[in-house]
Parts: sequence; structure tokens; C-alpha cells
Amino acid sequence: MGEIYKVPVGPIHIALEEPVYFKVHVHGETIENVDILSGFVHRGMEALVLRRNFLQNMIITERTCSLCSNNHPFTYIMAVEKIAGVRIPPRAEYLRVIADEVKRAASHLFNVSMLAHLVGFHSLMTQTMETREVLQDVKESIWGNRMDLGANTIGGVKYDLDKEQIRYLIRQLKLIKKPIRELTAIYRDNKIVRARTEGVGVLSKEDTIRLGVVGPTARGSGVNNDIRVVSPYAAYDKLNWDVVLEDGCDVRARALVRLREVFQAIDLAEQCLKSLPDGPVTTKGFPRIPKGEGVARTEAPRGELFFYVKSNGSTKPERMKWRVPTYLNWEALKLMMPGNKIADISVIFNSIDPCISCTER
Amino acid sequence: MKTDKKEMAALLLAEFQVYIKSGFEHRFSHMDHLGNEDLYLSLHDKGDINAVATLLKKHSGRVVTITPYIVDEGFEIAYHFDVYGIVLTVTLLTKDGIIDSITPNLKSADWTEREMQDLFNIKLIGHPNPDRLILDEKMAPGIFKEYMTLSDAMTGAATNTLWEKINEAKGEQNG
Repeated sequence: MGEIYKVPVGPIHIALEEPVYFKVHVHGETIENVDILSGFVHRGMEALVLRRNFLQNMIITERTCSLCSNNHPFTYIMAVEKIAGVRIPPRAEYLRVIADEVKRAASHLFNVSMLAHLVGFHSLMTQTMETREVLQDVKESIWGNRMDLGANTIGGVKYDLDKEQIRYLIRQLKLIKKPIRELTAIYRDNKIVRARTEGVGVLSKEDTIRLGVVGPTARGSGVNNDIRVVSPYAAYDKLNWDVVLEDGCDVRARALVRLREVFQAIDLAEQCLKSLPDGPVTTKGFPRIPKGEGVARTEAPRGELFFYVKSNGSTKPERMKWRVPTYLNWEALKLMMPGNKIADISVIFNSIDPCISCTER
Repeated sequence: MKTDKKEMAALLLAEFQVYIKSGFEHRFSHMDHLGNEDLYLSLHDKGDINAVATLLKKHSGRVVTITPYIVDEGFEIAYHFDVYGIVLTVTLLTKDGIIDSITPNLKSADWTEREMQDLFNIKLIGHPNPDRLILDEKMAPGIFKEYMTLSDAMTGAATNTLWEKINEAKGEQNG
């Protein structure tokens, strides 16, 4: 009675095929505390980008991870555009939103399907992944790749949409609305899913603010720090939409935020497709990047993504730093886990939609 | 929103005048067509960083991240904060690589401070949890500072010998 045991979890396994190591302190089946050890996939990307020019870094940043790959070059490019004083054409602003929202919808569906997998509801997982597959097809058809879209470039975007492609996108987005609506009802109301997610991994609104938690993890605790609103970019200020918030503060609330944001992502992409301005998709020529500094941030599927770029006027950056959303959300696990059961670890872990490749760069 | 951020930025700058004992330089501001404001300041004294953190805490601000980089005199460290949707970058110089931790004031600094301790061997005073974040305990702190890529070594950048020879030859050519 009263003895605390340490249970090692990881570095391989739990929820993702990425390595992180938890030392979980348990009292019986109940979690008392958790230590997090990371650094297994640190690749020194911040050093690598200093040896590549501004153009090459669009390619490297997109390889930071896969699920939110579009946001890395997108945000990096925005920082470089600030230094160069570039304002992109209106059509490019809308095209940037379309690419990003398609990625967001696919990323969120992946996360909730993993939740279904972890609670042992395998048919729900496969149905969610089947629905997501429509978006994978869309990405491959429009951008030529299922994960890395290569959509953005300094001064605009690398792709354009003709009328036939716009009709195709609208048709495909419409196609998945009904299945997502049905899946959302299962995630929201099914007894098994509720039993494994409701009241599990609670993070209070106060702690969310104190730790600086971002993205759907924060919005599941009622905290609105959606960068698309707080610091608008691309065409988000021209679209009609509201931030999705839930106040359950638990795993269920975070999943519901993501499911509602899938609908919202489809709606935002549709709005862009219907009001796409005419005109060029990039500025003319490649700008010279002068000496200077720039910061930029976007709302990646997991939350705020931040880039700092410092240029000394040469063809390569003098310093680049980026902070991904998961980086700030790790510490929240230390508050979410205590009081829950060992069996809940992977479900809580998955609820912050962790990206370890991103975190460690 | 445009006016809000501009007004808030002006308010913050006025408060900095009071809070920052040794003074600061307002290097520049960047405002885009959507009203997003980025502020860039430099502290004259690194010891004032916790005064900045205290002020940010008062305004419910948070640390977005921290960017250290090596300069001739030591390290420059750029702290990036979010406050009222404004990105505030505060840069300081530390010659000895020792700075006060701001994590006791702003918990959101926790990981990013530990990362710069691992990768740059910057010493933190008063960090509540100064454990390694990225590097294994067995590795020397700041080890990445000492790494040189193979391509750099192959181009002769590992030593000054090559450039000395070139400069010598140039000198001979120039008489």
C-alpha cells in the first residue's frame, strides 16, 4: 500500500510511430506523475537550413514532418516575404488557404481515427481513414502528392486551379460531408468512445493559458488562440467563419474540436473556391532578400507554428528558428495524466495530436 | 483590430520605459496590411529580461519561443513573446553565456530555455527544472556548437591555412 512504481512507456510505440519516452509514476493503476524524455529524432534542421539558400529552404522546411508539412514552408515563406517587403497577389492568398485547409481536414481525420484505434473501435478507425482517403486523392490530383504539397513559394503559390479542377474540388469536398457528419455522431454519442474520452486527460482553462498551450488542445479547454483570428494572414480575414471552441477540457472535447474543424476546413476551402479572385498566382521574379529580421506564424493543424528568420543580405539565412505547436503542448501532458489510469496514457497522449519529428526538428 | 494592436503596442512601449531600468532600443516595428504588429526591441542590460517577463505576465502574454545565436562578443538571444496578438521580439547580448531564467515568471519558457542550455551551453539561473531536454546526459553541453560539417571541412574551412595561403598569394600578386 502506498508504493509508487515507475513504468517506462516508449521510446518506441504508443499511438505514433515516433519515439518519445515517458517515465510514468503509478500508484496501483493510477498515474501519479510523468517525466517526459525527448530528443530521439533531433536532426539539427536549424543548423542545416543555414547552409541552404532561401529557395532551397522552402523544400527542407516542408520535410520537417508530414501531417502539417504545408505549414512549415508556408510560415517560413511568410517570414521571408516580410523581410523582402513582398505582398502576394490576392489569388495566391486564397490558394494558400485552400491548400492549408485541405491539409488540416486530412490531419484532423487522421488524429481522430487514431483515437478510435486506441479505444479499440477499429471499424470506426477504418471508416474515418476511408473518408480521409478522399482528401488524400484530392491532394494527389491537385498537388501531385499525398502529403507534401509544395503549394507555396516566395511571392505566392506554385499551383493554380482551372475551372475543371475547381469543380472537381467542390465535388470531392461535398462527397465527404455526409460520412463525416455520421462519423462525428459516433465520436460524440457512442458509449464506448464516451467512456474512454469523457473526463479523461482534463486540462483546465487556467492551466491552458498559463502553459501557453495552443491549437485544438487549447480550444478544447475553451481558449481561443487561433492564429487565423488573433493574427490573420492569407485570405482568412475575408472569409466568413467562427473559431471552434469546446469547454469539456478533456480528450472528448479535443476530438470534437477537431471534428468540427474538419467541417469548417471544408467550408473555408469552399468559400475560397467560390470567390477565387482572378489574376496572377505569384509576384514577378524572385525577390532579393535584404538584411533584416522577420517573424511569422500560422495556425497549423496542431496549433500555432512560428518562424523567425534573420538575414544578413546574403543568399542564405543567418539564423532560422521555428517552434512547432506540439512543443508547447508537451508540458500539458504532465497535468492531463495524473489521476488517470495506465490504460488512458495513449489516449491522452494522442489527444494533443503530438508531432515528435516537428518538435525535435 | 488595426487600431487595437497599434494602440496596444504604444501602451506596451510606454510601460517598458518604466519597467526597464537600464533602458532599451526600439529597433523597429512591422505592421502589415491586415493590422498585424511585430515589435523588435533590444535590451541594454541582459539583467532586465525578468522585468520584461514580469510586464508580459501582467498583460497575460506568453513566450512563443527563444532564439539564441552566436555573435563575436558571445551570444545574442531573441525572446519572442505573444501579447494581445502582437509578436514582441526582445533581444539581449550575453558575453558570458549566463542569463536569468524567465520560466519562474512565464512557464511557457520552460522547454525553450532548456533547449538553448542543451544546444548552446547557455547557463540559466533559477530555472525550476534545468534537466536536459534534447541531448542525452552523456553528451557534453553545447556539443553542436563544436560540430563542423564534412562539406565545410573539405572546403578548407576547418582552419585558416587555406585563406592565409590565398591572401599571401594575393599580396604577392598585388606587389
